[in-house]
Amino acid sequence: MDEKYSSNVLSGGKLGMVEVPDSRLTRYIVLLVISKVLKALGIFESYDILKAVHIVQFIFILKLGSAVILLFFQKPFSSGKVISKRQWIKLIKHAVFSCIISLLGFFGLTLCGPLRTLLLFEHSDVVVIALLGVLFTSSGGGPSKTRGAAFFIIAVICLLLFDNDDLMAKMAEHPEGHHDSALTHFLYTAIAFLGVADHKGGVVLLVASLCLKVGFHTASRKLSVEIGGAKRLYALDNLVSSLVLLPWVVVLSVTTESKVDSWSSLILPFGMIIFSVMILEFYVEAICNTKMETLRCARYGTIALFLSALLLANFWTHPLTDQLRSMSKPPQQVSTEHVLSGGVLVSAIFFIMSSSILSSPSKKGQKGTLVGYSPEGTPLYNFMGDALQHTSQSLPRFIKDSLKQILEEYDSRQIFYFLCLNLAFTFVELFYGVWTNSLGLISDGFHMLFDCSALVLGLFAALMTRWKATRIFSYGYGRVEILSGFINGLFLMVIAFFVFVESVTRLLDPPNIDTDMLTPVSVGGLLVNLVGICAFSHAHSHGSKSCSSNDHGHSHHGHSHSEHSHGGHGHSHGGGGMNANMRGVFLHVLADTLGSVGVIISTILIQQFGWLIADPICSLFIATLIFLSVIPLLKDACEVLLLRTPPEHEKDLNSALEKIEKIEGVLSYRDPHFWRHSASVIAGTIHLQIMSDVVEQRIIQQVTAILKDAGVNNLSVQVEKEAYFQHMSGLSTGFHEVLAMTQQMESMKYLKDGTCIM
Amino acid sequence: PHELHMILLFGSLNLLCTGCLLMWCSSTNSMALTAYTYLTIFDLFSLITCLISSWVTMKKPSQLYSFGFERLEVLAVFASTVLVQLGALFILKERCVYPPTAHIGRLLVGTFVALFFNLLTLLSVRNKPFAYVSEAASSSWLQEHVADLSRSLCGIIPGLSSVLLPRMNPFVLINMAGALSLCITYMLIEINNYNAVDTASAVAIALMTFGTMYPMSVYSGKVLLQTTPSHIIGQLDKLLREVSTLDGVLEVRNEHFWTVGFGSLAGSAHVRIRRDANEQLVLAHVTNRLLPLVSTLTVQIFKDDWTRPLLTGTLTASSSPSGAALTSAEGYPAVSSSSVPPLMMSLGRELDPLTSTPYKPSSPPPEFSFDTPGRNVQPVVLPNPGHNTHRPYGGLGLTYGASPYTGMLNQGLARPSSSLGLGIYLKICGTFSRRCSISRMTTP
Repeated sequence: MDEKYSSNVLSGGKLGMVEVPDSRLTRYIVLLVISKVLKALGIFESYDILKAVHIVQFIFILKLGSAVILLFFQKPFSSGKVISKRQWIKLIKHAVFSCIISLLGFFGLTLCGPLRTLLLFEHSDVVVIALLGVLFTSSGGGPSKTRGAAFFIIAVICLLLFDNDDLMAKMAEHPEGHHDSALTHFLYTAIAFLGVADHKGGVVLLVASLCLKVGFHTASRKLSVEIGGAKRLYALDNLVSSLVLLPWVVVLSVTTESKVDSWSSLILPFGMIIFSVMILEFYVEAICNTKMETLRCARYGTIALFLSALLLANFWTHPLTDQLRSMSKPPQQVSTEHVLSGGVLVSAIFFIMSSSILSSPSKKGQKGTLVGYSPEGTPLYNFMGDALQHTSQSLPRFIKDSLKQILEEYDSRQIFYFLCLNLAFTFVELFYGVWTNSLGLISDGFHMLFDCSALVLGLFAALMTRWKATRIFSYGYGRVEILSGFINGLFLMVIAFFVFVESVTRLLDPPNIDTDMLTPVSVGGLLVNLVGICAFSHAHSHGSKSCSSNDHGHSHHGHSHSEHSHGGHGHSHGGGGMNANMRGVFLHVLADTLGSVGVIISTILIQQFGWLIADPICSLFIATLIFLSVIPLLKDACEVLLLRTPPEHEKDLNSALEKIEKIEGVLSYRDPHFWRHSASVIAGTIHLQIMSDVVEQRIIQQVTAILKDAGVNNLSVQVEKEAYFQHMSGLSTGFHEVLAMTQQMESMKYLKDGTCIM
Repeated sequence: PHELHMILLFGSLNLLCTGCLLMWCSSTNSMALTAYTYLTIFDLFSLITCLISSWVTMKKPSQLYSFGFERLEVLAVFASTVLVQLGALFILKERCVYPPTAHIGRLLVGTFVALFFNLLTLLSVRNKPFAYVSEAASSSWLQEHVADLSRSLCGIIPGLSSVLLPRMNPFVLINMAGALSLCITYMLIEINNYNAVDTASAVAIALMTFGTMYPMSVYSGKVLLQTTPSHIIGQLDKLLREVSTLDGVLEVRNEHFWTVGFGSLAGSAHVRIRRDANEQLVLAHVTNRLLPLVSTLTVQIFKDDWTRPLLTGTLTASSSPSGAALTSAEGYPAVSSSSVPPLMMSLGRELDPLTSTPYKPSSPPPEFSFDTPGRNVQPVVLPNPGHNTHRPYGGLGLTYGASPYTGMLNQGLARPSSSLGLGIYLKICGTFSRRCSISRMTTP
């Protein structure tokens, strides 16, 4: 049923993967569910045991116990081929890694409690690989996988933020310095250094070790083939890792005294844990993976595990703990430990959803391009294209190339240097703000970072402008610059609007401002921005050399303030959309400068006279100035975008048109379109009617020359004679077209008559 | 006027609603509600766009704005989508800088008022430009996820397919999703006092706004950048291929095609033709091909080496057996004064060796030539309409233009149809082989 609506053509038919119906697999599914429930039980019990037994001892006992059982079942030494020396070394490495991972996992268990550990750590490899694929590669596999990844992240965030675990109880339970060994102490200090509570640190630790585990499993696949099967590897691995842990355990048990009084009472729980967590789960997974698909196995297993974990968390009454604790600790804390909270419940639901989405087989096949339709009417796709065209570029090389491109041209170089300066200032500010814990500094840093986005936009536009023309961008990318100028103008308008609204609310209710930190910061910002203004206004004079003399009138009023801020840079920035991008960036820097100046002035006023109202008035003034200075930029960009005849060429074009009319043989012209495409391209099209005995090519040459003088450098001239209209009326079939054509021809006839008389 | 009244009415309602909402925003201190209010402000922009588009339809192209004001519509759409995205960016920034604590207050009331007014405005005002853009632009991630979800839902309940499967209106979708997330925020703050939910929901609404508006601003931005719309390219390529196989055409270059407003295409192209081809005839045929797709078209015909007076003019004139060829002679006074009826396309390659422009031997046989019947009538020899010839030019323009063609039709048909048959054969071969290649390509 689901396939019917699937977008993939292949699986829509009979070509897709055929799933075995569930009914035939019921046995295996039941087995899987039982093993998962037992595993959840085992994890809950091991949490209790871990309170009394040291973690390294615990892992050692687990590994040793399972190694003994597996040696009995698998007989890795007596069967199979002989293991070489190199393979033994690999095996030892493998065992060390597996020890580390189980150490991290069980340490996370002590931090987070069994329920959260199960939710975070016990994801199947398939799910995690799908998740990573969505996050880090572009070909995720459709929106449903993206949704699954989003659910996973939301679930982790839920655990981090909304799960108010018994924080205080944990803090009381693990005061610093109470730790049993150097290892756990080190881990605790690492988590404390991160500045998060214990169980949140545990969440982070578990997520990290989950990724490690998946990577480890993937890497060990080759070794398992070399050794001769995953089961043999698992048996040997358990043996070797218990040998690796042995010295440590010996040292530990010699140096520290054990909290456990009777090891004999622990034999049964240990046996149960070894059976359920280490042995049964491994075998059942192996069987199910061969009988069912891995994906389905992962789906059922995860759901069963999480549900049973939720149930156990509700009903588990820590029987062992009470029994063990009664001798060592007062039992009042036990009841409040790792309770089931709303956040955990929500995140469990999200985890279940995400794992079922991520482990569902991806319906979306490859991305094909439609090439046509078969005779039966079914669409035909071509799956070749993308795989061949994707050539990955190494990152350093990419950075080097783009840097080289940026530094090639004047404009982008200026923007880049200024961006670097701005970013450096921002980060200094941010770090200093974090260091001194000053909120004002941090927020100002964020403002600066936000302003940098305009610079990045400008830089990108300046880079794009130089790209080669393509099929879609047939005139080249020059126009991007104008669009980026327009967007920057809109950006400034939005900024001005927000400053305006903010200052109006402050005018009504002037807040008390702490002025201590403001002055040095704003002076620093002012200096940085002044550098920028110098650079960019130089860029303008540089840029405006190329354009002919324009009227500079309209852009003066916006920049009168920059004249008094530093001597006389208030010249115009090229007229009529000349490099709108640089103008936008310049105005942005100017607005920042104005902001710093405003802050300095208002600080002085507040400090000297105590006029709290000075701050909102200053910002009102600044907002108006920004607004006024942006208007000419927006107007020019709009004109270019609306394909207006470029104002600075208007006169030339009119006289050129007059000249064209006077060319010998030209009867008339129609549809003259001239517009500025980008800073360097002025395009035009024109239709000419000429007498029948004139050579078209000569007329085209003359007209092109005349219009080139007027500034048009991308021209198409359509030269029409009377014959053209006759052909057209013959070719066109509709009555209206013919009527229109004949009307055009008629008008041409009259014109021609006029010229004939002349 | 009726529409105008509607727009003004809704605009004033919208202003009222926005004012109320902004007040509630500052009283609840909720960033999520502010983000949702921006959607209301966006509705105001869309009303303004609607106003502009109705103004544009009345306005004629002026001398300065020679393409008319249709682009103003595009610009308005672009500006409003970009402004809303910038607003969303501001929300995200504010989130980073000052995370305030939200109160419930009028949160739910504000949500429902805003939702009601937005939906009312969306559904009752016919907003042509936005309707066009939302259909033409690629679907946003929100739409894709909803489509995916509803597809799997339809797998369970097939009856819903008529409701859920068609493409959702992105504006309705984002309004609903925003209202939903605000409701969740309200519930969580009310029940559990999770104030952080407000932040999360504001970020979510801002991201959804980005997702919805981004494809539209990309689409309208591409129109503003004078790009060839990618969905036209296939059709355009087909036409250009047809043009380049017209008899006499050597190549098409400098082709620029772009949309003026939403929909109408404009363009220009340079067509290089053989020296002996008739410029006006080629021009007419090229224009005739492209005009149905490209409404504002300029075709520049050019020849190489046209200044070099060629002896071939007289030479071919005398040597051509049919006497129907010869076109390039027209331009030269010596020849044109002679009464050789120039005009028709040369019969092609057999009398070619003397012309200066080399014929491309590798080019495929012309898929279209004037000898094959199409929707166009047979090519014929026209009496030369010289500028001084007197013409019976009557009241009905139709007869004049069409009569030579229809009159000569019989003549043209009377010609042996060998070339015609060949043309059809070639066409069939071509299409057949292409189909073969396609199916070969797709079968893995």
